[in-house]
Amino acid sequence: MSETQSDEEVPLRDRIAANPRPALQWLAGAIVLLAVEFGAFIGVIIQLALTVVRLLPSNPGAAALASAGEAAESIPTLLTRGLIPNQGYQTASGEWMGTFLGLEPAYAWLLRVVLIYAYAFVWLGWFWVGYRWFRDHYRYADWTPRDDVVDRLRSHRWGQFGFVLVLAFFVLALFAPALGPTTVDANIQSPYTHYTKYYDDEIESVSNVTVGTANLGSTSQGAGGENVGPWSYDDYGRFHPFGTLTDGKDLFTFMAAGARISLMIGLVSLMIAGFIATALAMLTAYYKGLADLAAVITSDSIQSLPVLLVLILASAVFGNTWIANLYNGAVLLIAIFSVTYWPFFWRALRGPALQISEQEWIDAAKSFGQKPRVIMQKHMFPYVVGYLLIYASLTLGGIIIAVAGLSYLGLGITPPTPEWGRAISAGQPYVATASWHISLIPGIMITLIVVGFNALGDGIRDALDPQSEGGEETGGEAAVAGGGGA
Amino acid sequence: MSRWSYFLRRLVLSIPVILFGTTIVFMLVRLGPIDPAAAIVGMGNPQGIERIREQLGLTQPLWQQYIDFMINMFTLDLGQSWVIQPGRDAYSLVASYAPRTIWLGFWSVVIALFIGIPLGFYAGLNPNTGGDYFASFGGIVWRAMPNFWLAILLVSVLVQSQDLLFGFNWSNWLVTTDILSPPNLRFLSTPLEAITNPIDWWVSTGANGSFLAALKQIAPAAIVLGSASMGNEMRIGRTAILETINSDYVETARAKGVSGRSLIWKHVFRNALIPLVPIITGEAFLLVGGSVLVETVFAINGIGYLFYQAALNADLPLLGALMFIFILITVFTNILQDLLYTLIDPRVGYESE
Repeated sequence: MSETQSDEEVPLRDRIAANPRPALQWLAGAIVLLAVEFGAFIGVIIQLALTVVRLLPSNPGAAALASAGEAAESIPTLLTRGLIPNQGYQTASGEWMGTFLGLEPAYAWLLRVVLIYAYAFVWLGWFWVGYRWFRDHYRYADWTPRDDVVDRLRSHRWGQFGFVLVLAFFVLALFAPALGPTTVDANIQSPYTHYTKYYDDEIESVSNVTVGTANLGSTSQGAGGENVGPWSYDDYGRFHPFGTLTDGKDLFTFMAAGARISLMIGLVSLMIAGFIATALAMLTAYYKGLADLAAVITSDSIQSLPVLLVLILASAVFGNTWIANLYNGAVLLIAIFSVTYWPFFWRALRGPALQISEQEWIDAAKSFGQKPRVIMQKHMFPYVVGYLLIYASLTLGGIIIAVAGLSYLGLGITPPTPEWGRAISAGQPYVATASWHISLIPGIMITLIVVGFNALGDGIRDALDPQSEGGEETGGEAAVAGGGGA
Repeated sequence: MSRWSYFLRRLVLSIPVILFGTTIVFMLVRLGPIDPAAAIVGMGNPQGIERIREQLGLTQPLWQQYIDFMINMFTLDLGQSWVIQPGRDAYSLVASYAPRTIWLGFWSVVIALFIGIPLGFYAGLNPNTGGDYFASFGGIVWRAMPNFWLAILLVSVLVQSQDLLFGFNWSNWLVTTDILSPPNLRFLSTPLEAITNPIDWWVSTGANGSFLAALKQIAPAAIVLGSASMGNEMRIGRTAILETINSDYVETARAKGVSGRSLIWKHVFRNALIPLVPIITGEAFLLVGGSVLVETVFAINGIGYLFYQAALNADLPLLGALMFIFILITVFTNILQDLLYTLIDPRVGYESE
């Protein structure tokens, strides 16, 4: 808000040019932070680009991107599987070969996870420092209403608890390839073209075996011998932080990859739905009358369709068509979520937007001859966008539940792409056996993440609007937050 | 604007909503890539497919199909199932599947109400105590759990209750029932026996089932289906109590010497119930959507299960009919909610929408 320009204000760029030291210091820090993980950073970008390219007909440049992705893997990066390996074998003497510093795989893996999370939190801290420096050195105003919002958020423990959970989930999704004890490609997608080394006691030497064969020997199917539980090793010396799935695949790798796709679906559909809702809220609040009525009827019609049933219906109707295969079915889900969720957002934004549109400064801008588009963008949008954040936080949890519910039914994301609901479904017969982890861990993770998103939403609500006390929750909001009852 | 003209306006506004909603359903069902004729006779029989297409009216232009579809729906002619039970009326299908879903929905609302609201009120009356934190946090976690996952856990625990719950056997508790089977609701068709033959009607496990057996069978599913609402009711109940207890009129009542109990019951509770109305009616939405997963896990062959089967088998007319019913339910619950709201709380304005 602080950069809102008036005639007397110097643009931010000039202000930085006048006193470049803090900005340069911050930038230097950011570059150092980025440099240590440059390979992973480029990898994520190429992965994103590749996903988009594969959606286009005839895949322009997919091959080039894929080879660029391989090149990116060779860029030296600090926190990778290659630098801190956790896969190795244990010789007869009990020594671990091939792991980081000869550590036990569990500790090598744990070290990597701790370092990655520490790295993410360092970034977070650095952004906070940047905001503080910006406030101290470059902002004109000593105080803006945003400062109060930030201060209220800083003393809101419950919201912070949610924030930490949400951040942990984001890091899990973002760093999925480096966090898993093994990779999706090697362990889940094509296990029979990858090999793993283990120490064979019978012939007293190191043997090579395909991952697929090793998986068959480390299945979790309830009975005593057929189980690789959480925090344990299988017969091939491979470490499984969350245990294995019924077919011997690593649950943690599965979960991390599944987090990625859930988050992707959630974020993209939120962006689309949020964009539609914000644009409509501006238009209806500005023009009122017929425009408002039309939007009310449209949104009511869409809200009268139960989201989950529309999802099931669409997944069934479009199943086995080209749409359902785009990005493993995620594109179809994104489309449905965007279409069905924008009315909830619009409803939430409509009140605040109408209130803003009644303010004197809007009248002043109108009489001043400002264009409607500029009025909406500059004088209405900034006041409404905060409310969008509250609902976005609540809705993300709901989308994660709904996607999991769909894949539990065998719809939505196509196998073998990891999705949490499928793990819950696979573990269903073994809940009360030794292999309880297959169903329970994904469910607990979903619960934690949804609690996190709800807490963060509460925190943002209390920070933006301290009077509300969370009393305005409606049935619609509850429905969205609950994933339509999944 | 008076209450009745407001109500009338809501009714008139609901017509375009239902129209538009049904249009969306038509587009989903008929414009999708599924050929219902192929779903009926199988792919290898081109003449058969052609014949069926002719019979079903699929050779007509799309606008004609659309108008027919809309007229049929709005005259409540819901058509027939094509694939699941070919030739059977959608009405008779719904009539045979609906009772179990209604039984499930009813109890999920009631159980949620009777656990959620008292807990919320308790938390609100004892704010910032250990009990409040426990109830509030429990409610939040309880609400965040995915229904289908909760259902799976509950089924597993109940099936093995003998081992897991220190010898407590759920199946044999009170009356012997199966865990994974739909409730037997035949006793409901003879309501008079509740008085004439009370033991059979309320408790026994004969061929017609009994109230207690049916309740016990539906209770786990109802608790799961109502879990989200329970959490919401608790939360809203707590906030509502806190808000009313700090309001001026309660202060006044206290100042003029109204006794504690009368203050709570007469002045606080009744007003604190107001914000709970939209939550309770909003549950219709959750129940309709959630019934699919919960009924699938608990093997209850209700409407949600029927919908899921129809979707899997591409029974398009049945899907359209079911969606239409769901739209009607949602729209009318919304109107009912607004009406209830204006009845309970005269302060609610009619002007905003």
